[in-house]
Amino acid sequence: MTRARWLDLAPLLLVIAASAAGVLLAGAPAARLDPARAWCAPSSTRLLGCGEAGVDLLAVVSYAALRAIALAVTVSLLSFVVGTPLGVAAALARGRFERVVERGCDLVQAFPTFMLALAVLSAVRTPSRLHIGAVFALTSWAPFARLALAQTRVLRGAAFVEAAVALGRGRVGVLVRHVMPNVLGVVAVQLGSTGAAIVVSEAALAFVGLGPRDGVSLGGVLDQGVAAMLRAPHVLVIGAAAVFATSTAMLAAGRALAPEVR
Amino acid sequence: MPRAAARLLTLRRVWRAVGGRLAESASVVLALASLVFVALRVLPGDPARLVLGDAAGAADLARVRATLHLDEPLLAQYGRFLRGLSRFDLGDSLRRPGTSAMARVTEALAPTAELALVAVAIGALSGVVVAVAASGPWLSPRARSWTDRGLIVAAASPLVAFAPVLTWLLAVRVRLVPLPGDPDAGASGLLFASGLLAIPLAAHVGRIARAALTDVARAPFLMVAVAKGAGPGRVWIVHALPAVVGPIVTVVATQLGALLGGAVVLERMFERWGLGTLILEAYATRDLPVLEGAVVAAGLLFVGAQALGEAVHVAVDPRAREGR
Repeated sequence: MTRARWLDLAPLLLVIAASAAGVLLAGAPAARLDPARAWCAPSSTRLLGCGEAGVDLLAVVSYAALRAIALAVTVSLLSFVVGTPLGVAAALARGRFERVVERGCDLVQAFPTFMLALAVLSAVRTPSRLHIGAVFALTSWAPFARLALAQTRVLRGAAFVEAAVALGRGRVGVLVRHVMPNVLGVVAVQLGSTGAAIVVSEAALAFVGLGPRDGVSLGGVLDQGVAAMLRAPHVLVIGAAAVFATSTAMLAAGRALAPEVR
Repeated sequence: MPRAAARLLTLRRVWRAVGGRLAESASVVLALASLVFVALRVLPGDPARLVLGDAAGAADLARVRATLHLDEPLLAQYGRFLRGLSRFDLGDSLRRPGTSAMARVTEALAPTAELALVAVAIGALSGVVVAVAASGPWLSPRARSWTDRGLIVAAASPLVAFAPVLTWLLAVRVRLVPLPGDPDAGASGLLFASGLLAIPLAAHVGRIARAALTDVARAPFLMVAVAKGAGPGRVWIVHALPAVVGPIVTVVATQLGALLGGAVVLERMFERWGLGTLILEAYATRDLPVLEGAVVAAGLLFVGAQALGEAVHVAVDPRAREGR
């Protein structure tokens, strides 16, 4: 890995390290209430101050950031694993299957995803992390399939693939040795933007009230911040900074996976 | 070819394009509606119990099942749902008996459409202005590169993070705009909310328009315009701008989904009445007909705005009319 790539990964590692440190420093579970300290400003005992009913913001933000990153990484890897082979297979099969997959991607990518998430999540009483992840996975495979399809379409006509076929390599051999390596790099870049979108969507869902029951979510912190905008603006600023840092760190980490330009 | 015949051909092509576009829009709405239908009925958990809560008696549960037709086979329910959809009638609201679900949805549609349309207008316009200003000869190279960097940062900023902070700064610190939830906010409240919603859109439009204008800058027709002695304003606005409407319309269309999601967030934050508020209320009270209707209406708003965008493209860019 070159130096520039480590620099792209650095923000994400930094956010993870800071959150882990925050969890250790706070030392208490995120949901512990301390009503006497409600909305207190940052101090030496509560480094980021307190939120509604006296929750320690340091603990809440740290846990929430770690969970958001875990959710985003899981869902985007899953979409990568599902979408990429689908796109490659569609481009290699050509004909009707290719058209169906392409139209399917168009359809899913044209969805107002957030509305869909709201509607689907209303089927459960309180959305859990699993539900939220499943809703995101419902649409997040499409860009991966789309990119893989487009890239494979270019590769299937490429001279070096033709040469490999002419030299007598089997279908599987061509796929594994020549097509896949050239598809993966291009598609992997999407991991970062999908991950960032999931961090933001999860926060937005929690912000409008579809978060996890314990309220440990970056969107929950923002919601508290808006409610207490006049009394305790620090809650709002901390929540917004956490969402911004986490999502941009994911975006930057995606760049680290970009194929090397030679 | 005689003129009339050529016109007829163009007209036929336009009609075919319109027909294809309509079929595509309808399939998006249908798929969205079906997903919502399936989610509410097939996922584990009894919708009637979701509506009434755990303490409900058997008789009440049976009554709600009958009202929602949950006691019928799934395919019959789906058929009924689609028939209802085509007639814009999904039954009565569960929480306000006597009011049809669709009536509540149409009532909420207008404020959201207003918010979204004003946001699209502000966003597209300011994005284009920034892109043209940065492409023409008006800015120094330094200012130009800072503009480009600013656009990248703005495009990557999540609305849910910056909207509350900007509101706090402008409404609480500077007192420039009304506070969230202010019932007398009126036009300035609408403008501020749309302005917030327009920021990410403007950034995306600005980036794409800037890239497209950089491409067009080398096109022969622009050199002809310069050679004929047109000033920079005329060259960039009259000659270059119409040529990049296509990418701009496309980027607006792809951002519409995010815009609608952002509208829900902002409606909740400013306590504005609208489709988002209605969806959240229907979600909280499990008013399933209203929820289904509201999501379908959001889908309609979405595909309608996309089709409108394409019409604008065809109207402004002659290349799109010739079916190339």
